[in-house]
Amino acid sequence: MTQTQRPIPVMQPWTRDFWKATKQGKLLIQHCDNCNSNIFFPKKVCPECWSDHLDWQEASGKATVYTFTTMLDMVEPKFMGDLPYVIAMVDLKEGIRMTTRIVNCNPDDVEIGMNVEVVFEEVSPECSLPMFQPADETLRLASPDSEDGEAVAAESETGMSPDAYQTIIYEIGGNNDAVCTITLNRPDKYNAINRRMAAELIDAFRRVRDEASVGVVVLAGAGEKAFCTGGDLEIFPSLAEHQNSLNWLSHEGLDVQRAISSCEKVVICKINGHCLAGGLEVALACDLLYVKESAKMGTTEINMGVLPGWGGTARLPRSMPIFRAREIIFSGRKDYTAREMYDMGLLTRVFKDDEFEAQFEKVVNNIASKKPVALRMGKEIMARSADGCDMETALAVERNGIQWLTYAPDIQKMMDQFRAAPDQLTQSQKKSNIASDAT
Amino acid sequence: MSKKNLAIIGIGEVPTGTYPNRSRWDIIYETCIAAVRDAGIDKNDVEGVVTVAPQAQPQISAEISFGKIPEELGLKGCREVCICNAGGASTSNCLRLAEQYIESGQAKIVLIPHVTVHSTIPMPDLINFFAKAGIDLQWEYPYGTTYNGIIAMMTRRYMHDSGTTEEEMASVVVSLRKWAAMDENSIFYGKEVPPVEKILSSGMVSSPLHKRECNVLADGGGAMVVASAEIAKKMGVPAAYKLGESSRYFSAFTTTRTNEELTNGYRDATGEALADAGVSKEDINLWNVYLAYPVGHTMFMEAAGLCEPGQAGKVFMEGHTWPGGKMPWATIGDATGRGHTGSGVSMATYIETARQMMGKAGERQVPDAKYAFQNTAGGSGMNFIATVWGRE
Repeated sequence: MTQTQRPIPVMQPWTRDFWKATKQGKLLIQHCDNCNSNIFFPKKVCPECWSDHLDWQEASGKATVYTFTTMLDMVEPKFMGDLPYVIAMVDLKEGIRMTTRIVNCNPDDVEIGMNVEVVFEEVSPECSLPMFQPADETLRLASPDSEDGEAVAAESETGMSPDAYQTIIYEIGGNNDAVCTITLNRPDKYNAINRRMAAELIDAFRRVRDEASVGVVVLAGAGEKAFCTGGDLEIFPSLAEHQNSLNWLSHEGLDVQRAISSCEKVVICKINGHCLAGGLEVALACDLLYVKESAKMGTTEINMGVLPGWGGTARLPRSMPIFRAREIIFSGRKDYTAREMYDMGLLTRVFKDDEFEAQFEKVVNNIASKKPVALRMGKEIMARSADGCDMETALAVERNGIQWLTYAPDIQKMMDQFRAAPDQLTQSQKKSNIASDAT
Repeated sequence: MSKKNLAIIGIGEVPTGTYPNRSRWDIIYETCIAAVRDAGIDKNDVEGVVTVAPQAQPQISAEISFGKIPEELGLKGCREVCICNAGGASTSNCLRLAEQYIESGQAKIVLIPHVTVHSTIPMPDLINFFAKAGIDLQWEYPYGTTYNGIIAMMTRRYMHDSGTTEEEMASVVVSLRKWAAMDENSIFYGKEVPPVEKILSSGMVSSPLHKRECNVLADGGGAMVVASAEIAKKMGVPAAYKLGESSRYFSAFTTTRTNEELTNGYRDATGEALADAGVSKEDINLWNVYLAYPVGHTMFMEAAGLCEPGQAGKVFMEGHTWPGGKMPWATIGDATGRGHTGSGVSMATYIETARQMMGKAGERQVPDAKYAFQNTAGGSGMNFIATVWGRE
């Protein structure tokens, strides 16, 4: 959780002791010595009897959840980095009710009546915020100092599983479950990327690495209007803060690109409708780009005085002749047709609108019929080579990669057959070549 | 009968929506002139101006506080001017101040304007105001609490206690939007009324509150002309007569109040207002409720004894509160249907109450409406002011 930007409680002279105690990990309750009542919010005089004989008693820190909400949207920029987070009212054993956060657990596990206990989160050198975590240790996320705690916490912080995705759809299908389709699913927002979607994309592309049957990932946009038009406008107010803006580029932005480009499956981007700005940049991180003829493309960032910042300014010149890449970035045009882009050297293929679905399916089925391990190795060898190492290195990577493949267990299983009956190899190879040409 | 001595005799309103080109003073001119003309009086008959304080708009608030409206409008007979701020409950208090001017003889006719233009307030200022008003800066705000967040918590607890389903909660929005679709001053006028499924498929903002269960900030304004009941009768114009009133204060913040305290307060203040008016809840033809979010409507309906506990959601779902239903309810659609104009929703609701009592509500007119109940509430639900109005 980001601590630097969180607002500091606005203290009163009579509440300073409360906040001081939070630094020692103590939760204090104001107590009236005259009428014996516990007081919250703390006051200058007792609200029951107006006595000023007030002191502090240390609370047990145990409480139950009275009610709660998982905050998912429409919060101030300074809290956006925390989304999703759980705000709750909890009833302390000592009879007072506080607003707080429930932390260190999956938001889906929080419920009314749940037992919780206090933990403190630092917001400044002067004070920490009392927050609450589940009393039941099995509901807590792994503690950050345990061996693999970091990884677990990072995974579960998003609290994500494909069932819980709100902004994308994750489906595995095709022959032998070889295709995973990840669909950007905010069609009424032109599939624009908000923080949630960025987090879900990162999760999905990391998740698909572990799907052994999958060789191909299709990245598509829901609806007819757009593949994706980039960052959601609702993000923009938050970018007024330097730190938020930097994080949007270097956390969400870079992580989405990395999750796609370092995904060992072949990522095929299916583009129809508008594919603009950050949407195009996400496409550039994919391996193959198939585009519907009526699609419109471009990078519009320069119209706002900035530049494509999700890899576009770096990747476009590496994806096509540089004199053409420059025009795309400098012009800010958002009406490049698919044919224009293809002629300029960017795309894999453009299909006519009425043939698009059928043609695309053909391409995907063909590639998905290849061995995942070969696709993976091919992706890696080509990536290293295209990154611009010297030719001898590239050839060494290729040679050794292919030799490795040849001795990969499932290829060897085939080899055993062929060792036994040598001319089967050439016959079977011929057959699969013909099959591949036919699709 | 009632000891109250106040009648709304003129109303004026501009459509609620996003109109950045319509200045605040444009709205004040337009609504005040319309209200004065609607009352059939001369502008110089206005002897007092009590304005609903615009929220988050310091410049116009300062101008109004320092007496600019009577000068701008050339109200030559004006003797009293002031501004009144109790958040969403401001308009109720403007009416009470007007009542006091009239009672004390300082003014016979009082003008009550309101204006809000959200669309030209810089986003940081808007966020700054609405994130921190009604939310405690020491004990709530640092956790990332928002208005939607506190209402979401209230809603979850209410659903938990009453067994109300999310479909039933969404039905409140359906009901509000049905009225709003028929209200030419609503942001949703003429728009498709989303069915329950569509409301529940809108993004979750703060669970269990969906986007379509939250409010859209908008610009708007309205004005009322009020006079004593005797003057209204003598003039023989259609009018809404104030018959009864009662109120409760709860607390400034949601952390420091319970749902039970709220419902007890709703029940008691409503009962007292009805008794004050000398009518029973069965006499009320229109429940013009302003509580800004769906949960307030269900909690109030149950607290006021208008249905069995835990059954309010079903009443909304079954359509009893819809146009043509047996219990016409929030006939401008509350803030959810009308668009949220800060302290202006209370003004819009009073104007609607008056319109219904005057028989000027057009398509939304509740047939033979004799008595209307109306409430207001301020801040993040700090209080509850119940009033009863009649057409005589």
